[in-house]
Amino acid sequence: MAQVAYAGASRVYPGAHSVRAVDGLDLCIGDGEFLVLVGPSGSGKSTALRMAAGLEDVDEGSISIGDRDVTHLPPKDRDIAMVFQSYALYPHMSVRENMAFSLKLRGMSKSEVNAKVEEAAELLDLTKYLDRKPKALSGGQRQRVAMGRAIVREPSVFLMDEPLSNLDAKLRVETRANIAALQRRLGTTTIYVTHDQVEAMTMGDRVAVLRDGVLQQCASPRELYDTPRNVFVAGFIGSPAMNLLTLPVDGDGVKLGELKVQLPVRVEPGEVTVGIRPETLSLVGAAEDGFELQVELVEELGADAYVHGTLAGHADKIVVRADGRTPPRLGEAVRVAVRDTGEVHVFDPESGLRIGAE
Amino acid sequence: MTARTNRLGRSALTGLTWLVALLFVFPVIWMVVTSFKHEVDAATDPPTFAFAPTLEQFTTILDRGFLPYLANSAFVTVLSTALVLLLGVPAAYALSLAPVKQTSNALGFFLSTKMLPIVAAIIPLYIISQNLGMLDNVWALIVLYAGMNLPLAVWMMRSFFLEVPTEMIEAARVDGAKLPTVLYRVILPVVAPGIAATALICVIFSWTEFFYAVNLTAAQAGTVPVFLVGFITSEGLFWAQLSAAALLASLPVMIVGWIAQNHLVRGLSMGAVK
Amino acid sequence: MTALIEAPQSSEPPATRTRTQARSAAWKRRAPLLPALLFTIAVTQVPFLVTVFYSFQSWNMVRPGSQHFVGFDNYVDVFTDSVFLQALGNTVTITVVCVLVAMLLGLGLALLLDRKFLGRGIVRTLLITPFLILPAAGALLWKTTMFDPSYGLLNWAFGIEVEWLSDYPLAAVMTQIVWQWTPFMMLLILAGLQAQSREVLEAAQVDGAGRWRTFVSITLPQLSRYLQLAVLLGAIYIVNSFDAIYLMTQGGPGTASTNLPYYIYQRAFEGFDVGQSSAMGVVVVAMTLIVATFALRLMFRAFDVSRGVK
Ligand SMILES: Nc1ncnc2c1ncn2[C@@H]1O[C@H](COP(=O)(O)OP(=O)(O)O)[C@@H](O)[C@H]1O
Ligand SMILES: [Mg+2]
Repeated sequence: MAQVAYAGASRVYPGAHSVRAVDGLDLCIGDGEFLVLVGPSGSGKSTALRMAAGLEDVDEGSISIGDRDVTHLPPKDRDIAMVFQSYALYPHMSVRENMAFSLKLRGMSKSEVNAKVEEAAELLDLTKYLDRKPKALSGGQRQRVAMGRAIVREPSVFLMDEPLSNLDAKLRVETRANIAALQRRLGTTTIYVTHDQVEAMTMGDRVAVLRDGVLQQCASPRELYDTPRNVFVAGFIGSPAMNLLTLPVDGDGVKLGELKVQLPVRVEPGEVTVGIRPETLSLVGAAEDGFELQVELVEELGADAYVHGTLAGHADKIVVRADGRTPPRLGEAVRVAVRDTGEVHVFDPESGLRIGAE
Repeated sequence: MTARTNRLGRSALTGLTWLVALLFVFPVIWMVVTSFKHEVDAATDPPTFAFAPTLEQFTTILDRGFLPYLANSAFVTVLSTALVLLLGVPAAYALSLAPVKQTSNALGFFLSTKMLPIVAAIIPLYIISQNLGMLDNVWALIVLYAGMNLPLAVWMMRSFFLEVPTEMIEAARVDGAKLPTVLYRVILPVVAPGIAATALICVIFSWTEFFYAVNLTAAQAGTVPVFLVGFITSEGLFWAQLSAAALLASLPVMIVGWIAQNHLVRGLSMGAVK
Repeated sequence: MTALIEAPQSSEPPATRTRTQARSAAWKRRAPLLPALLFTIAVTQVPFLVTVFYSFQSWNMVRPGSQHFVGFDNYVDVFTDSVFLQALGNTVTITVVCVLVAMLLGLGLALLLDRKFLGRGIVRTLLITPFLILPAAGALLWKTTMFDPSYGLLNWAFGIEVEWLSDYPLAAVMTQIVWQWTPFMMLLILAGLQAQSREVLEAAQVDGAGRWRTFVSITLPQLSRYLQLAVLLGAIYIVNSFDAIYLMTQGGPGTASTNLPYYIYQRAFEGFDVGQSSAMGVVVVAMTLIVATFALRLMFRAFDVSRGVK
C-alpha cells in the first residue's frame, strides 16, 4: 500500500501552441484513500492520471508513489494498475488470459495465477465468462473484466479513467456502488477520474476539482459542497448548479428583487457575487417576505420539482427547489424566500474567491 | 531511463530510419541521377558522382517514339480500370449489402481465378487473339487486364461495402428512398473512397503489367514495358538512356501513387483500417 | 380424410406462386453479380479449358497440320522433364523466400515508421517508391546499375568482383523481387499497426510488459490477419514472377534461374510446342489449386466471410 504525491507536477504538450494540460499540480493521496479527480472535459484529468501511470512525461515537478520517486520510471516499474475508459481489453485473449497476463509476466506459477484469476472472477461475478473473448461480452461485463485485470495484480495504486462512462445510466449507478465497496474492502489507494460530479460526490473520500490543468480545491465531498473555495467549484459541484448572481452591496446584505438578504460575512461596499443553492430557496405564500419569480420551466423529478425562472429586473436565471407534489405552473409568478441566510455563499466578483473565514 | 537518454535514443532511431529508407530507394535515386548523365558518365568504374547534367537522354527517348507507348499505356489502364469498376461495383454490392445465397462460393471462385497462373491461359489467349486478328491490339489488353484485376477488386470493394452501416440504409428506406436513391445518395458517398482505393490498385497493376503486354503486343499496341524491352534487347550498354526511359515509364504511376498513398494503404488492407 | 387430401390441392397454386416469386427475387439479387461472373469465366476459365484441351494434343505451331490427339503423353513428358522439375523447385524457392523475406523486411520498416518523427511522410513516400516503379524498369536497373560486374554499384560498394547474375542468378532475381514487394508488405503491416488501439498497448505497458513483450503478446497476434493477407497476396503475385527472370537472367545460366512461368513461356513462344506447354500449364494450375484451397481457407477465416451473409 502506498500514498501518491504530486509535487508541482506539470505536463506541457509541445507544439506551435503548447498546452499546459496539467499545471503545477500539488496533491497528496493518502494510503488507502479513494480520491476522485473531477472537472469539465479537457481540464487535464486524464493527463494527470496518466502522469501517475507513467504514460505521460512529467515536464516539471515530480511524482512519488510510496516513498519512491517514480517521475522517470516506466509504467511497469510503478506497481500500479489502470482501468481505461475504453477498457482496453486485449481483443485476442479470453477473459482468463486478459486477467492472467500481468501475473504471467511476473513469472507467477500457473496454479497460483489460476487461483488468483478465479478468485477475482468470483468477486466480480465473471466465473461463467472466463473463457469468452471480450467481443462476446456485454458492456457491463467488459467493464468488470477491466476491473478484474486491475485487481488480480494487487497493485499498490489503482488508477481509473472514467471507467463507467460507457455504461447505461442504471448500470452506472449500480457499478458505482460496487467499485466503491470493492475499494473499501481491498483498501487500495485509488485515483478515480470522472467528469460526473455525482460520481465524484458519492464515491470519493476526497474530491479534487481541476480546471484548465489547475487544481481548484481538494476536500471531502461535504466540505466541497458547503464551503466551495471559489465560484468555479461552487458552480461545478451540486446538481442543479448553485445560483450565482453578482449584485451591488446594500449595507450588510444584498437585494434580490424586493427581498433584502443578510450576508453571513462582512463585505466592503461595491459588488459581490452571491451563491445560493436551489435547496436554500423555497416557495412561500404571497404574504410572506420574498422576491417574485416568473416561472419559465418546471422540472418534476417525483419527490422534488425544480422551478426555473427569471428575477424581475434581472437577466439571471434562478432555480428553486420546490415540493414535487404541488409544483407551480408555467407562466405563474411565485414568491421565493431564502430558508437560511447562513447558507448563502459570498465571493469576490473580481477574483472569484470565497469571502469570509472557512 | 531518463528523459534525456530517451530523447537521444529517439533521434538515433530517426536517423536509422532515414538511413534505411535512403539505402532502400537508392536504386531509384541512382536511376534519376543516371538519367541526367551523358552516356560516358553513366557506366564507369568507380561510379561518377559529379557530372554535367543533360536532358539529352530524355529527348532521345522521345525521338525514339516513346509517346505512342505512353498513350497506349494510359488508354489501356484507364479503360480496363473503368471496366473493372463497371463490372465490379455491382458484384461487390451483390456480395455484401444484398448478399446472394452463394456468396462465399462466388467469393471463393473470384479469388481462385486469381490463383490461376496467367501462364495457364496465355497459349489459348494467344491463339484466340491470333485467329480473331486481335494480336497487337489495345482492346485485347483492356479485356485481359480487366479480367486480371476484377477478382481482387471485387474482394476489396466488398470489404468497403461491408463498412456501410446498415442503420444508414435502413434510415434512408424509412425516409422513403427507393433503391436507386439509396445506392446513389447513401451508399456511394460512403464507399467512394474505397472505390478510389481499388481503382488505384487496378491502375498500378495495369500500368506495370508485363507478361500479356510482351506476349500479345508489339509496335502497334505496345505499352511502356514493351518499349523498355525493345530498348534493352536491341542495344548494348546505354545506361543513361535506359534510366531516362525507366524514369519516364514509371513516373505517371509513381506520381499517382505518391499523391494517393493513403488510398493505397486502404486498398491494400482491404478497408480493414479507416 | 377428404379435408386432408384437399387441403394441399387448394393451397398449391399460392405455394407455386410464392416459389416462383422467390426464384425471381433470388435472380434479381443475383443479377448485379452475373456480369462480373460471366466476364471472369470468359476471360479466365474458358482459356483454361482450352488449355486443358490442347494439353491432350501434340501440336507444334511452326508445323501446320501437326495437331493430333495424344492422350496423356504430354503429361508423361512433363513429369520426366528434369528442367520442368527444376523450374518447379525454383518457383517454390522464389515464392517462399521472397514472401518471407519481404514480409520480415516490411515488418521491420513498418515498425520503424510506426511512430512520430521528423520527415515521416517523406520517408514513407521514399519507401513505397519501389512498388510504384515499373517492375520491368526495376529489373533492368538492378541488372545494369546494381549487378553489372564491371560498373555495377554493388561490386564497387563492397570492393569485390562478383558476377552476380551468372554466379548467383536466383539470389539476384530474388533480390529484385524482394525489393519490389517489400513496400507492399510494409504498407499492409503498417495499416495493421496503426489499427491497434493505443489504450490496449498502454494497458500492456501498465500490466508490466516491456517493449518486446508487448510486441510479441499484443501486437503480433492482432497483426496476424494482416500478415496472412500479406502472405496470400504476395504469394499470388510472386508465384507468377516473370519480368525479373525474363529481363535479368533469361532463366540462365542454363536453366539455373528458370521458374515455371518462364519455362512455359519458353516452350510456348520459343519452342512453339503448344501441347507440352499446355500440359505444364495444367499441372501448375492443379498444384496451385491444392495450395490455394489451403490458402483460401486461411483467407476466409481471416476475413470472416460469413459476415454480411444471411
Ligand atoms: N496528445 C496531446 N497533444 C496535445 N494536447 C493534448 C494531448 N492530449 C490532451 N491534450 C490537451 O490537454 C488538455 C487536457 O486533456 P485531458 O487530460 O484529456 O482532459 P480530460 O481528461 O480532463 O478531458 C486538453 O486541452 C487537451 O486538448
Ligand atoms: Mg479524459
